[in-house]
Amino acid sequence: MTYLELRQVAFYYPRKMKPALTGINLKFEKEEITAITGPNGCGKTTLTKLMIGVLRATEGEIYLAGSPLTNYSLGEIGRRIGYVFQKPDLQLFCSTVAEEVGFGLNNRGYDPETVKEKIKFYLDYFELTGYQNAFPLNLSQGEKERLAIAAVLANEPEFLILDEPTIGLDAFRKKLLENYLKKIARLGRGMILISHDESFVNRLAERVVIMADGRIQGCNERKESACYEA
Amino acid sequence: MKLDPRTKMVMVICLSCLALIYSTPGRLLLVLAATIVLLLIFRFDPSTVWGYLKPFLSLMLMLFIIQCIFSPGGKVLLSIGPVPLITYNGLLVGSSIILRIIVVIAAALLLTTFSSRDFVLGLVQWKVPYELAFMVFIALRFLPVFREEMINVITAIQLRGIELKKVPWGQKLTIYRQLFFPLIYGMMQKAQQLAMAMENRGFRAYPQRTYLRRLNFILADYVVMLLSSAATLMLIFLQIT
Ligand SMILES: Nc1ncnc2c1ncn2[C@@H]1O[C@H](COP(=O)(O)OP(=O)(O)O)[C@@H](O)[C@H]1O
Ligand SMILES: [Mg+2]
Repeated sequence: MTYLELRQVAFYYPRKMKPALTGINLKFEKEEITAITGPNGCGKTTLTKLMIGVLRATEGEIYLAGSPLTNYSLGEIGRRIGYVFQKPDLQLFCSTVAEEVGFGLNNRGYDPETVKEKIKFYLDYFELTGYQNAFPLNLSQGEKERLAIAAVLANEPEFLILDEPTIGLDAFRKKLLENYLKKIARLGRGMILISHDESFVNRLAERVVIMADGRIQGCNERKESACYEA
Repeated sequence: MKLDPRTKMVMVICLSCLALIYSTPGRLLLVLAATIVLLLIFRFDPSTVWGYLKPFLSLMLMLFIIQCIFSPGGKVLLSIGPVPLITYNGLLVGSSIILRIIVVIAAALLLTTFSSRDFVLGLVQWKVPYELAFMVFIALRFLPVFREEMINVITAIQLRGIELKKVPWGQKLTIYRQLFFPLIYGMMQKAQQLAMAMENRGFRAYPQRTYLRRLNFILADYVVMLLSSAATLMLIFLQIT
């Protein structure tokens, strides 16, 4: 079943004549790993922000699990789709690293013991245990990235969108992230990866969507097709 | 009309003083009308007014309700049993408060009709120390940044799957209290980075600063400034006596 679908989507930033995106038609399956690549400023980040409802499409419709995205609140979308921002600073807002990882679970009424266990697991996996009482915005770029990813993954959403997750990660941490993403993919959770890292994309993605200048330029499939140009 | 930024600052001060002195809706409406005329003269884009007013709406509504309830007197318009809820007097005081806020915001919008660089220049030529003028400039520049930061955080929270609109008040307060410290700390970090960048570029390296441009008063500036201050002083005098 199609999980996320964009139909003839166009988007203009306020007070701009040139569209940031035009004529976007895309379908994403629930269990599929798709990569989106393209040069800087071609609209990848904008596209993902539309998909999670942070921005509203100027034209066209976006559907999540069969109903229009506009029917969902941000919170509902957030519970289904885990989104890792391109700039991790934008999504770190707690006072300590451990709080950051547990924030979603704590505030959604999980019992404290479970939350504690999960925090421990994710801190361990992303090698942040040593920093658990540190202030998130004082971490290094790569550590912030790992924390942002851990905080999103800890919520265990059914779908993931990661905007340039490998930027700032060293080779070893990249490998760790890759392994983890493969693991959750095996659990049947799909994801969209935005990345310039060709080898990272090649090892993970089943489909590569290539963007240029606000349009879908092409689509490189290794499995069945779900993507078509308008 | 191309007036000096300093002249406009004087006008803003005059209008704000009048808004504070007057307390009846009729007079305040007159001040508001004058402000709007000025905004139009200085080619302020009226379509952006809503954007500036929106953040203050809930504050205005709250003040209105509080004033309505706690300024009793006059004819009772709505009551619960023997307790008068809304009175004629309360309604007057409430609407005055709202008008007052609107006038102050609208007057401040006059300051957006010239660039913030001119603002600093204007202050400096009025012998305000450059450091102080620059501080004001930075504050103006960072206000939208701060606002954006708030919006970002609220978005990020919701994207973690939390229905901010639906969580009970107690929990909401806890969440906001938790956020307060990181937000302030983040701003301080930005301020420190800015300070470092400024020092790197030689801010305050020499005691004497020179300026490429100078603001010059023209005759119209003197006339407008004199007239508006005189008129304001007279109106205040009339109101007090
Ligand atoms: N908030 C914004 N306001 C106006 N224009 C923007 C904004 N954000 C991005 N843009 C513009 O939209 C285009 C696409 O940006 P973006 O989606 O960030 O590209 P990418 O992620 O592919 O590098 C760019 O030309 C960028 O300058
Ligand atoms: Mg981007």
